[in-house]
Amino acid sequence: MRTSLLIVAIIALAALLGPLALHWRYDAIDWNTVRAAPLSPGHMMGTDSVGRDLLARTLVGTRVTLGVAAAAACVSLLVGVAWGAVAGWCGGRIDEAMMRIVDALYALPFMFVVILLMVVFGRSILLVFLGIGLVEWLTMARVVRGQMLILRERPFVIAAEAAGLRPPAIILRHILPNLAGVAIAYLLLTIPQVVMIESFLSFLGLGVQEPMTSLGILLKDGADDMDIAPHALLLPGLVMVSILLCLTRLGEGLRDRLTR
Amino acid sequence: MLELIRRRLLTALPTLAAVVVLSFVLMRVAPGGPFDGERPLDPETRAALMSAYGLDKPLPEQILLYLDRVLRGDFGPSLVYRDFTVTDLIARGLPVSLTLGALALLLALAIGLAAGMAAAARPGCRSDRALMFAATLLTALPSFVTGPLLALVFGLWAGWLPVSGWGDGEPRHLVLPVLALALPATGAIAKLARAGLAEVLRQDHIRTARARGLGGTRILLVHALRPALVPVVSYLGPAAAGMLTGAVVIETVFALPGLGRYFVQGALNRDYPLVLGVVTLYAALIILFNLFADLAYGWLDPRARR
Repeated sequence: MRTSLLIVAIIALAALLGPLALHWRYDAIDWNTVRAAPLSPGHMMGTDSVGRDLLARTLVGTRVTLGVAAAAACVSLLVGVAWGAVAGWCGGRIDEAMMRIVDALYALPFMFVVILLMVVFGRSILLVFLGIGLVEWLTMARVVRGQMLILRERPFVIAAEAAGLRPPAIILRHILPNLAGVAIAYLLLTIPQVVMIESFLSFLGLGVQEPMTSLGILLKDGADDMDIAPHALLLPGLVMVSILLCLTRLGEGLRDRLTR
Repeated sequence: MLELIRRRLLTALPTLAAVVVLSFVLMRVAPGGPFDGERPLDPETRAALMSAYGLDKPLPEQILLYLDRVLRGDFGPSLVYRDFTVTDLIARGLPVSLTLGALALLLALAIGLAAGMAAAARPGCRSDRALMFAATLLTALPSFVTGPLLALVFGLWAGWLPVSGWGDGEPRHLVLPVLALALPATGAIAKLARAGLAEVLRQDHIRTARARGLGGTRILLVHALRPALVPVVSYLGPAAAGMLTGAVVIETVFALPGLGRYFVQGALNRDYPLVLGVVTLYAALIILFNLFADLAYGWLDPRARR
């Protein structure tokens, strides 16, 4: 787990600060080189099919993807925790109705609704992650509700109730801090999901738009000419896979530790 | 059992209606329309077209009319593919997408379960860790990367299999797309199966079985597998949805004439009836699939039979 955290931190830092240290901007075209191989002079990682520096593009793309993913995961965290907490706290009919809705939503081809959203709202990056966040909160709601059902019976909660505290105060002050660990574990597991959705949308041309870039776009461009310039797929692919692997490991490790 | 089916079907109808209404409204607030071409139509032609397709009526009325038609099995005409009804297009694309999705799901189940069992047989061992690493890796690779990669290696370099195309559904043409579609789900199923088995193998009845001298393989297959399948089955609903969306990518990568491509094209062209038809159909399919998953639950875990 520690290595995973370290790798994610290094990648995030590089994505944030790296572009400042580079000579080339992510959208600047070097007219002298097209599809340069890695380690060619001036371009440490080579250039893409129109001569843009691959390292700069990968760093900026990572930044965009991580930003989108973190924002969407936060939206899903807010919605999911609120929904799950209310359902778990109220119990009975309300709980059943709210969870039935979650079940029903689980059963839907949600990517299709996201695609519709993207088409509708003109591919704005802000709406990309809002839309994704609104899709990804279901698991979070289920998990939070489950935890809530356990916490609700714990003596300190009953004591707070007996002392006359109101439900919102109990939930906010006494229960949410106890939920935080599990919620963060699932937040970490949501980010890889969002990254995959982002790349899926980019593949369809519905995500981030050129010349802006993202890991999904870089992977798509790389996959398009992997037979002549494999390095253009390798670098962003490596970054994406390591981010997803490390976040999954972190999230699963944290989850297993907290729910044992 | 019958009671469960009845209750599920009763909740399915409002869910479906909600999907249709939501998609309807989303489509309509999108800027642009199906008749926006390179040359603007003159207002009269435009108005005639709008009224011919009933697009000039108030939105709630259109929705009701549409729901009424769908209930009678008529998805209406396509606005962009002028010579086809939506039902025609679905009849062409659906078999391709269904074949692809069903085969991929079966393949993912077979490989995923086998890998999960192999990993759970020796927990913490090197083989366990390697398998789980591979499983996580599979879920982290988008199919638009693995797809072209498979085509490059097995199609172009080795020359064993066709790189793209449907070829009337010959098995040779199916191998690579099905494999590429199955890989992410395989990883997910392997992880779920391993987690489920690890949980069950810790329980008392397994210890008893072991104490009575039963062999490891027998315990795994006869005593542990059935209860451990519960998390896998609950993943089948989302997995089926994933197959349908994944098919959009795979159909594009391998140039297959499936339904997913019609959907994306339809959404971009504002072909309202086509998009609505595909969304409704997919929602119905997935709801049906979840019903099967619920029935499988009852078979796996008698406590769930209520």
